[in-house]
Amino acid sequence: MTLLAVDGLRRSFGSLVAVDGVSFEIEAGEIVGMIGPNGAGKTTTFNCILSVIDSDAGTVSFDGADVTGGPPHALARRGLVRTFQQTRELETLTVADNMLLAAPEHPGERAWHAVGRTSTSAQREAAARERAMELLEVFDIAGMVEEYAGNLSGGQRKLLELARSLMLDPKLLLLDEPFAGVNPSLTNEIVGHIEALNDDGMTLLIIEHELETLTDLVDRLIVLADGQVLATGPPAAIMENEEVIDAYLGG
Amino acid sequence: MSDGASRFEEFPVDAVHVGLTLFVLAVLFLYSPLFVQPPGGTFTVLEVVVLFLLYAMILVGLNLQFGHAGLVNFGPVAFFAVGGYTAAMLTANEPFRAVGLGYPWPVGLLAAILVAAALGVLLGISTLRLRDDFLAIVTLAVAEIIHGLLETQSDITGGSLGLNNVPRPIAGTTTAGDGAVLVSTIIVFGALALLFYGVFRRLSASPYGRVLRAIRADEQVTETLGKRVFRYKLAVFVYGAAVAGLAGALLVFYNGAAAPGFFTINVTVIVWIGMLIGGAGSDRGVLGGLAIIMSFQLFTRFLNDQIPFVTQDQFASIRLVLIGLLLMVIVKYRPEGIWGDADELGVES
Ligand SMILES: Nc1ncnc2c1ncn2[C@@H]1O[C@H](COP(=O)(O)OP(=O)(O)OP(=O)(O)O)[C@@H](O)[C@H]1O
Ligand SMILES: [Mg+2]
Repeated sequence: MTLLAVDGLRRSFGSLVAVDGVSFEIEAGEIVGMIGPNGAGKTTTFNCILSVIDSDAGTVSFDGADVTGGPPHALARRGLVRTFQQTRELETLTVADNMLLAAPEHPGERAWHAVGRTSTSAQREAAARERAMELLEVFDIAGMVEEYAGNLSGGQRKLLELARSLMLDPKLLLLDEPFAGVNPSLTNEIVGHIEALNDDGMTLLIIEHELETLTDLVDRLIVLADGQVLATGPPAAIMENEEVIDAYLGG
Repeated sequence: MSDGASRFEEFPVDAVHVGLTLFVLAVLFLYSPLFVQPPGGTFTVLEVVVLFLLYAMILVGLNLQFGHAGLVNFGPVAFFAVGGYTAAMLTANEPFRAVGLGYPWPVGLLAAILVAAALGVLLGISTLRLRDDFLAIVTLAVAEIIHGLLETQSDITGGSLGLNNVPRPIAGTTTAGDGAVLVSTIIVFGALALLFYGVFRRLSASPYGRVLRAIRADEQVTETLGKRVFRYKLAVFVYGAAVAGLAGALLVFYNGAAAPGFFTINVTVIVWIGMLIGGAGSDRGVLGGLAIIMSFQLFTRFLNDQIPFVTQDQFASIRLVLIGLLLMVIVKYRPEGIWGDADELGVES
């Protein structure tokens, strides 16, 4: 089943066409890698898919529905969740609140429940807290739960961002450079988490420059260059593709 | 809530319950033949207490907007003024050269809330999707425009003289004189201020408040985590507007009059400084800050009476300089304010 279908996506900044007619599909259950030189338009593609920024043209459909143009909060609720290239913890919130914030369908986030202090809100909060602690245990940052996210180390931030996005039970998780700035042992750890998530049925699309790690991890690679899809296929084939080698080495 | 800051914030008793109980008692007290006569020399202080309670209502809304959600509303006085004049124009009986429709006061009170909230919706929808600083500019400008209109549209608002003959529901319940009215007013306003504090505190201390603080930290991330950011921003903007409008109505019903002088930019300045001194985002702290700044004003007023060779105008300037200095000291040495949380506000202290 096709989970995500991107068709003819386009976005320019002034005269620079950052994303120039990108089309691809992601099947449910896949792990797909997206690679390409700096400035190829990978992050902008993510931004357009999530309609964090408007795209100039193209359509995005997710899980059988046309979701072009968002709104972003609705995409998250449908199960399309992303992380950011520069980790974006809510630094002024505690680790616990970062996690709890992501809990979907929380009645306590409505004014009436908040002012009325309803029991449905309290129950949801307790369940969310339990789930959050489970995830923090898995990601080995449970000890930091009452710490402000701004006080975490770079690696811990990556883990928190990943754990936080899992609070939403995503169907498709888009990761933007999850290994950037992460030491090798933590990279292995994150790879382990990604594989475990995929084994549990989650689909992932991962932007990454760290090719060695990525090619071992993914089923398929999409190569972007100058805002266009240059090639797509299994990692082994892509690594031997002349065009791809040119794009990377010839710049 | 689990974090240390909120535990500190929690009153030992629930402010909503206490506020409601106190309000019922206050109303019973008003309709009883009982009254309290304060000592003669305390009137000035008591009048400041009345203002403090009204400003506190504005401030609980502003603190939810800025302290929690990060919305820079530089025009809380606009809603205060709109509420006040709506109430006054609907209820005044033949004011001198102004609109006075003579409706009963509850109509004026309700309309004040609705009109202020409507202004909030209008400004919110037109600015809250735009860049952050837009809201600051627009609210500041709108407050000034409204103040200007109050002074110039004298056929409607009574101009710089304002409107008189506005009903005074609390004063009407006693014949024991101004002192007794002041005390009754303080009891009623105090109950309401506590109630609003309690309601807004419940909002901020709940998962609702968590979403607001996430919006302050990073709107885009909050949105991608499934929250309707714009709706939250609009809601807290309108809640604050409505409460400020109500406070404006209470002021004119207390005074029996409305005049532009009650609704100057000073109101905005005082509540903002109170909030920053107390610590934005600390629900109790901001009220402490407001108390500090208003006590300071009161104290300097007494001082002025003691130093006859300084004119009142000069003294007002000196006071403003002192307040500015205090604010600079706070911003430099304790940017989170006295009771604020540096981690939560993301400032280095
Ligand atoms: N908001 C923006 N305004 C102007 N130009 C932008 C903006 N965002 C991206 N660009 C430009 O669009 C192009 C594509 O950027 P993008 O961030 O998508 O690349 P990328 O493939 O993610 O690169 P990297 O590997 O360095 O993260 C770049 O030339 C970039 O400078
Ligand atoms: Mg990028």
